[in-house]
Amino acid sequence: MNSCPGPKCYAPETSCAMGNMELAKCPRWKGVVPEESPPDTEVQHVSLPWTGNALGLADLNFVTGRAKPLIIGIAGQESAGKTTLLAAWYLLLGRTRLTDDAWHFGGSFSLEGWEAVATAMRWSPGQAPGFPPHTSSRGARAPGLLHLAFRHCERQLRDFLFADAPGEWFKRWAIDEHAEDAEGARWVSQHADVLLLVADRQALAGPKMGSARSAFQLLATRVGAQRRGRPVALVWTKADVEVAPEMKDRIRQAVMSIMPDAAEFSVSVLADDTSAVGIGFQELFQWILARRRSAIELPSAAASGADPLFVYGRR
Amino acid sequence: MSAIQQSILVIGESNVGKTHYGAQLLKRLIVGECKLRMNGAASNLKPFEKAMECLADGIATEHTPATTYVESVWPMVDTEGRSGTLIWPDYGGEQVLKMIAERRVPDTWRSRVGSATDWIFLIRLHTLRSADDMFSRPVSVLGQVQSQASPQQFSDQGRLIELLQMLLYVAGLDRDEPRRSPSLTVLLTCWDELGVQGSPKDILAEQLPMFSAFVHSTWREPAVFGLSALEKPLSQKKPDQEYASRGPEEFGFIVHPDGSRTEDITWPIHRLLTNNDMD
Repeated sequence: MNSCPGPKCYAPETSCAMGNMELAKCPRWKGVVPEESPPDTEVQHVSLPWTGNALGLADLNFVTGRAKPLIIGIAGQESAGKTTLLAAWYLLLGRTRLTDDAWHFGGSFSLEGWEAVATAMRWSPGQAPGFPPHTSSRGARAPGLLHLAFRHCERQLRDFLFADAPGEWFKRWAIDEHAEDAEGARWVSQHADVLLLVADRQALAGPKMGSARSAFQLLATRVGAQRRGRPVALVWTKADVEVAPEMKDRIRQAVMSIMPDAAEFSVSVLADDTSAVGIGFQELFQWILARRRSAIELPSAAASGADPLFVYGRR
Repeated sequence: MSAIQQSILVIGESNVGKTHYGAQLLKRLIVGECKLRMNGAASNLKPFEKAMECLADGIATEHTPATTYVESVWPMVDTEGRSGTLIWPDYGGEQVLKMIAERRVPDTWRSRVGSATDWIFLIRLHTLRSADDMFSRPVSVLGQVQSQASPQQFSDQGRLIELLQMLLYVAGLDRDEPRRSPSLTVLLTCWDELGVQGSPKDILAEQLPMFSAFVHSTWREPAVFGLSALEKPLSQKKPDQEYASRGPEEFGFIVHPDGSRTEDITWPIHRLLTNNDMD
């Protein structure tokens, strides 16, 4: 047997979940340390706890060790531009145009995952850039999570996880909260600290604008019912596409009527100017960086003594 | 004066000029006209023997074999009497590439990384590229491009960041706060082929912005210098007459943060010695 019997341990593919740098020292490990290339047979290797790809739930332990990361859930219909939003952020990060000078990029444990979503938007020899391919649902229980760490000024690193979830999940979830094939959307709704609600302007101006509007309204209602006071932003994608004013009002109303404090952003990869940063991506990201998880409020206790140790014990 | 044991980890992919810098540095230490000079004899000059011979004739040395890893111990002293021991490795850069590709680090590398007091990261900007994307070079007509899965390529700066993250992890170093030790010096090698003027730090930030941001947020005071160990390109076959007549120690320079040049290529190492002495 050459895999670890322990739950949530993927050794030897990734490092030991128990934290042993050398597999042979782990009491749970019963296998033989695999060696692929013959000249290396004498060499022991240290595996890493991250694969570089989008993180699954089992990979989270490593990232969440520092502190609970801020999870950003992006809810929207299929081809609304959710993955493009992520890819655009990564491309801007690649040129340090994503954040202002106070935030410094502090690494990522899913760099290959980011590269995978962004690669379609890069020019390669003889090929013009396109948009990232459709995110497949694969019946997973949770979306792939893309990680970024930032340091604000000289302080501690802060971790952010971006959920790259397929649109089908949200479609099912908007209709039926308990739909079997919407477990991933429920995960996002339950765990996200910040929710982005994506309105696809192309769909809302296209031949099927009616059904797109209705699907968005359903999703907005669902998000509104589940948000529990968390920050929500309405994000218009493909902002270069013109949408009828009535349609715009309807969509805005669907969000603002139930979530009056929702922020609103418009993004597009096409910009008229030569700034080479698209429209709105930086503003939306800065807004996310400024979000904080709501803090616990300790009940105030009336006490006569000044010693805080006895405050809660007094009656 | 105190004696310092300085173990320097030289990190660089293939073909960034690790051996050439090692050989030129060694030559300078032996000739002794720089801030640093040899204090006694080096333990083992063999790794650089061939390279020093080649350079003396004005030809470029061959590629270091992929499996080679040799450490050479050099006792040094500076003009003010500060002494130290420098452990300088020479190895085939494929080992570094292999670690990134296989996503695992040999145990031997783990101990080297863990015990190093200073990291020197060699980057040859000329061989790296940054691909244009939809923002930097917009598509003229949108809608004609269709989503497609193109073969995925790790961008160069992404790969270098991953390498540093891997090394930090295996060395057991956390990144919660910006690090002071081990110190990080980024040397932009083969500076002469870049054909640019200015501060190395700015040029790194311009050409590998995300990498530069990562380095500056992870280390408290990372240093970025330009290095040209040879000063001009040498052929592996045709000897350079100037080199042969004047000697390789007359060539090579360092570019300081302000863009000024100095011929003393021992300077980045001397700096590490004095920094540690002050701690």
